[in-house]
Order: sequence, then structure tokens, then C-alpha cells
Amino acid sequence: MSGAFRETVTALLARPDVGPVLVQVATTLVSLVMILGLYALARSLRLGGDQRIADADHAKRLAEETWPGFAATEVTLDRARIGALVRNVEGRVLLIRRHGARFVGRELTTHDGIRLDRHTLTLETGDRQAGTLTIDLGADAQIWAASLRRLIDPARGAVA
Amino acid sequence: MNATMLSDFATRAATVGVDVVPFAVPFFILTIVIEMVWAARRDPTAYEPGDTLTSLAMGLGSTVAGALVAGLIALVMGWLYAHRVATVPVLWWTQWWMWIAVFLLDDFNYYLFHRSAHRMRWFWASHVNHHTSQHYNLSTALRQTWTGFPALSFAFRVWPAFIGVPPGMLLTVGGINLVYQYWIHTEAIRRMPRWFEAVMNTPSHHRVHHATNPRYLDRNFAGVFIVWDRLLGTYQPERDDDPVRYGVVHQLGTFSLLTVAFHEWASIARDLWRAPWSAKLGYVVRPPGWSHDGTRDTSDMIRARWLAGQEQV
Repeated sequence: MSGAFRETVTALLARPDVGPVLVQVATTLVSLVMILGLYALARSLRLGGDQRIADADHAKRLAEETWPGFAATEVTLDRARIGALVRNVEGRVLLIRRHGARFVGRELTTHDGIRLDRHTLTLETGDRQAGTLTIDLGADAQIWAASLRRLIDPARGAVA
Repeated sequence: MNATMLSDFATRAATVGVDVVPFAVPFFILTIVIEMVWAARRDPTAYEPGDTLTSLAMGLGSTVAGALVAGLIALVMGWLYAHRVATVPVLWWTQWWMWIAVFLLDDFNYYLFHRSAHRMRWFWASHVNHHTSQHYNLSTALRQTWTGFPALSFAFRVWPAFIGVPPGMLLTVGGINLVYQYWIHTEAIRRMPRWFEAVMNTPSHHRVHHATNPRYLDRNFAGVFIVWDRLLGTYQPERDDDPVRYGVVHQLGTFSLLTVAFHEWASIARDLWRAPWSAKLGYVVRPPGWSHDGTRDTSDMIRARWLAGQEQV
């Protein structure tokens, strides 16, 4: 650090109207660098990993975790095992999808936003945070697309 | 350190306040690195880089938000202290047992705040971000709120100034309380010795608090001493036959900082807009999950339904 720069910084730090702000900004920048360093370390250690839905039983367990008491009767798995559709005895359907190293579930309440393209289904749950997911269900795609026309909307208690 | 220096330090801590959090930051970073290495060897899914980045950025944002409003909170505390109803003898804070008494009072106030933060949606909107991670590691501890000040959460902790507790003392013990709660956010420690588990908040107790399992919902609100939960009926021990799942009942499914920080406020705003006039207040002051038409579930409803299912089994 050159002498002139050091003098300028010292003078600014000594000013009561500038010094505390300068310290706060410097602390924030250093913290930001630390955060990025920890993020880089987590990536370099390959933390999180590549999580997939192992099988239908795993998908049922994930549905039960999302919705305690959800008695799953039917399951279809995405071919890459990053998502699944699970239906219970009442005909209500949960979309399970991967989120980082964990999974999240959302109930499908309307057929709007569900698009079939040969073996893939593109699904919108109506929840902006959940976003859109395209899953490859193979031959199951057409069967499930047809059955999703009879979804139950819990808010209206009727077929949506 | 001799008695005079100790007395001077206690006076400074009580009057101006000593913020212990910055001193703990190197410890935070070092222990997160250690826990990451532990996770890489034992359970790589204990961390998720995107989740960690969100938690740490929330922590940084919370620090910045705190710095922006620190003056206002100090002003409120100063006003309360200036209008205090009791005046205690000068230098009473040099008595060590008074520090313990104030620490206990502040920890009880934390318990009240924390319980309210889970039982009233207004406070939940500010606190929920801390629970949005589906992981439970030391970085989760730093996933702190950006909106604590506008939610007026600080009211639970500043009122002792009105009965004569110096504001600096409250700031000092509040910082110590916050630092204590850092280390309990881990899966690396299974159980502490029985005597410790009986009195103190521990990783096991706090894992229960972060759980979405129906059995564990809205339990273990303690900050430092678990005795408050034991005394007030909100204690639930961790059970080996019911492994903890972390997060919130409706998992966010995103690492977006803005969503984590503000999603519940936005949700309250939408509900206030749509709800009939007679129900609007309920969406602010009733528990999270309450709805006027019964289409949503509160923690109590989820637990009751789960318990009914268990009885049938």
C-alpha cells in the first residue's frame, strides 16, 4: 500500500461521518469473499452429490414426508429419477421433484399447465416457487396425462 | 486481568455494550470448514453448495440490515432506559450474579419471542427464512432474517431497559445468546451428556425444532436453556425411531435469496388482498397455515391428524 493511499484511508477512517460506513463496507466485502470461498469448498468436496429417486417405494416415502398420511397407491417415475408422480386413494396427485440434495413435493390441483409431448409431461403446479418440471415417463406419460384430467382441487372440493 | 480491569470491562459491557458476534466469526468459518470435511467423509448430502450459499448470504444480509437499524433500536432502548420505572444502584453490573440474572431474563424473553415467531404469522413471516433450509448444518445457523426490525421482533428483548437494565447489558447478553445458538445447528453431534441435555439447548433438542415431522412441529423454542420448554410444556425429545426431516411444511424448493427473505410477507399480502374483511386480521395474527375457509393446515391440525392416524394403526 502506497503512502498516499494509506494516508487517505487513515484520514477517511478518522472522520466520524465516513469511518464507520467504510468499516462496514470493508467488513461486508471481506465476508462476501469468505462466503464465496466456503461455497467453492463445498463444491470442490462434491457435497450434495447427485441424488435420484431410487424406486417406487422411495417415491412413496417422499410423498408421505411431504404430506403426512398420504397413502400412495400409484407411482410413476421419471426415467432419470429426478421426479415422480404419486397418486393416493382419494385420487390426489403429488409431484415429487429434486431440489439440490433433497426433494420437494407439490400437489397438482389443476390440469391447466400440464402438457404432453410423446413420452414427456411438462407440469406446472400453480406454485411460482416450484416452477415448471418436465419429466420423461415413457409409455406412462399418455396414461397419466389422461388421468390428470380428473384432478381434485382441494379449494373447491371438486374435479378441476 | 485484575479486579479493576474486570470491573472496567463490566462497566463498558453494561453501558456501551460489547458485541461478541464479530469475535466469533473466525470460529464460525473454521467450524463450517471442519463440518464440511466431516460431511465429505461421512454424509455428503449433509451439505448442498447452493443451500449453503443461500444460508451464508442470508447471514450477511442480516448483518447489513442489523447495522442499518442498530441506531434505531439503540434509540428505543435509550428512550426506555431514560423513562425507566426503577433505578438500580450505580455499578450494580459489576456483580457477576447480576449478569447471570440478566442473561436468564434475556433468554426467557428469547423463548417468548421464538414461540410467538412460530405461533403468530406476522412474526413467522420474519423468522421463517431460518427454517427454509432442508439441511441442518452450521451454515443453517447463519440463515438469519432481514426483516426482524420491521416485524418489531426486537420488542421482546428491549423491554427490560424500562425496569432499569442498562441497554448495553442487554446488547451484550443478547450477542452471547446468539453465539451460543450457532453450535447447536449440526448433525455431527448426536447427544451431549445427560446432565447437559437436561438443562441446556443442544444439537439434539434443536434438530427437533427444525423438523417437519408432525410429532416435532412447534416444539423446543429455547435459545440457551431448554428448561423453558420443559417448564412450559413445549418440550419434545428427539427419538431414534422418528428421524428428523428438516425445513418447513411446504418446502420452498428454491435457493433464491429474495424468495427466502420475503416469500411469507408476499404470501400475507396476497391473503390480505383476497380474504373477506372479517378474515383479514386472522391472516396476520393467527398461526401460520390458518385460513378462513379451512383449506390449509396449521401445525396443530397436522399433528392432530397424524395422531389420529397413529391411533388407528
